[in-house]
Amino acid sequence: MPDPVSPVDALPPASRAYGEIGARSDAPRWGMVVDQERCVGCWSCAVICKSENDIPLGMWWNRILSEGEALDTPARVAGREELHWLPLACQHCDNAPCVKVCPVGATYRRADGVVMMDNERCIGCRYCMIACPYGVRVFNWGAPDRPTDFDTGMVVARPVGTVEKCLLCVHRITDGQIPSCVWSCPEGARVFGDLDDPTSRIATLIRDREGTRLLEDRGTEPKVYYLSPRRRRPL
Amino acid sequence: MSAGATHSAAPPAVRARRSRPPAALVAWFGLLLLIFIVGLVAWGYQMRYGLSVTALDNVVMWGQYILFFMFFVGLSAGGLIVASAGRLFGVARFRPIVRLAVLEATVAIMLAALFLLPDIGRSERVWHLFRYPNLTSPMIWDIAIVTIYFSLSAVYTWLYTRADLARAGSPIALGTSPSERSAARDDRIKGRLAWVALPAAVLLHSITAWIFGLQISRGFWYSALMAPLFVSSALVSGLALVILLALVLRRLRRLEFDDGLVAYLGGLLGVFIAVEAFFVLCETLTAAYPGAAFESEPMRRLLTGPYLWFFAFEIVVGLLIPFLMLARRRLRESVGVVALACSFAIVGIYVHRLNIVLNGLSYPLMDLPPGVAGGDYAPISSSFVTSYFYVPSLVEWLIVGGVLAFGGLVFTIATLVLPLREGDAPH
Repeated sequence: MPDPVSPVDALPPASRAYGEIGARSDAPRWGMVVDQERCVGCWSCAVICKSENDIPLGMWWNRILSEGEALDTPARVAGREELHWLPLACQHCDNAPCVKVCPVGATYRRADGVVMMDNERCIGCRYCMIACPYGVRVFNWGAPDRPTDFDTGMVVARPVGTVEKCLLCVHRITDGQIPSCVWSCPEGARVFGDLDDPTSRIATLIRDREGTRLLEDRGTEPKVYYLSPRRRRPL
Repeated sequence: MSAGATHSAAPPAVRARRSRPPAALVAWFGLLLLIFIVGLVAWGYQMRYGLSVTALDNVVMWGQYILFFMFFVGLSAGGLIVASAGRLFGVARFRPIVRLAVLEATVAIMLAALFLLPDIGRSERVWHLFRYPNLTSPMIWDIAIVTIYFSLSAVYTWLYTRADLARAGSPIALGTSPSERSAARDDRIKGRLAWVALPAAVLLHSITAWIFGLQISRGFWYSALMAPLFVSSALVSGLALVILLALVLRRLRRLEFDDGLVAYLGGLLGVFIAVEAFFVLCETLTAAYPGAAFESEPMRRLLTGPYLWFFAFEIVVGLLIPFLMLARRRLRESVGVVALACSFAIVGIYVHRLNIVLNGLSYPLMDLPPGVAGGDYAPISSSFVTSYFYVPSLVEWLIVGGVLAFGGLVFTIATLVLPLREGDAPH
């Protein structure tokens, strides 16, 4: 199946300069690590995601959840107040519920593991949003609201009445670049790489730091791993 | 044998009524047509501005349209159950209402399918469902069974009325003859179809339940009881609607049956309500008892939170009161009591579906602040949502009204064209 999302043009040099994927195997299985010890909840990745992918106002593919009662508030852990964040976007599940339920196959898993969206085929039934246990899909309810009157993204904007979500910057991967949320993180809290390559940095981190995945008991086999903080961050 | 002979046999009063439609009928058609046109305009408005004109958002992404889809799938149960149960188990008492029942099933399932059209964000791409079907999707299974069920109901309706239509020379008889031999053949076909129709009816409600019940995303829905629960609620609402329609048509002198049948059907409805109540109890207790995280939030919302009153309504008005009304022989021998109980049961099943869908959706998964991006840009205030109590917008009501009015038009025309009584000539 051809990728419906292709770069509008070749990426501009400024963006190209960041994050070469480098040497890669013939059959990679792309995944991501999010280090909660490093994350300071700055939302840089969420904001660059909006600009990279031309996401209208009121919609987010990537957002930063706080583990406390409200935004950027601490949670009480073992009698101490601790401040941690949970960056959340599509988990690119190997056993993706959204892929199973899509009636027209508009969302599908690519050979390299990226869960894709074909917005020209999507009929807008929102069954994928019902099925996703992570609540990371967003719908184009009406005409897009944008802060600028020109397109900001490196990809084609999605039509009204269809569902969209994080595509792991598939247009950049195709071009040999890592996703924008990864290179733009000021704390280096995100690592992108090939989960099937045991020598890759991502595989090593998951092994050494005992990376966990969200809602593992549901059997969705997500490819985003979270590293829990070793140092607690008391207030 | 000819149409002319039937006409001359009709009493003068009937002929006079036939030549000019009564004012009430004209007013009824006018009203339905008006609501239908308003609904069409509202749908055009929604097509122009997108689903943002609904009250849906990224938390509650399915609302009134899907509720009515499920509701009408359930309502369509009445017909084939009356028809095929009557045939398979020899319940001959259903005979006077069997034609009405299969007609009701046909119209209800057609409306259910129509409710999907305004729900999807790009209605003009609905053909993708047939061009690119993904066979692992319960929605594709549902579309298949809805199509099968609609065809079966339509064939049934035709088979039951065909001989009388042929006798009157109606083109709807498709040139078949009203002979004894063809009537015997009809009976054989109906008998064989019943073996397909009853499983199809059970599957229809089960698959509609599996759209929800197979989803690991929401513990509230992920239950093996979902399919039996949908079958039982379909039996309740489907039979209740058939009883109500039969009473209305009897008053309009289009059907004839005695009050004994009403009491009999009322008693049957009472049994269905008891089964439904039992399933609701099993489901609620199983979900609430462990207090497990997977289910605790939706159960809290249902039992103590924003949906408490809806749940109380479902239990008291939808199950308890109609059951008590129908359980006593003396009460259900009153036609008025049965009619009231049917109305309560139908509304109760609607609220039951609301409690499953809307309550199950009313909070974000990964329930951490700031929540889910609702989908609307709201300057100054946050566009993130942590809890959402969905109330349908005016546009949603108008579109629902339009589909309902369309169904009313089709049903009314069908009752005028088709002989609902055995031996009747069509009007």
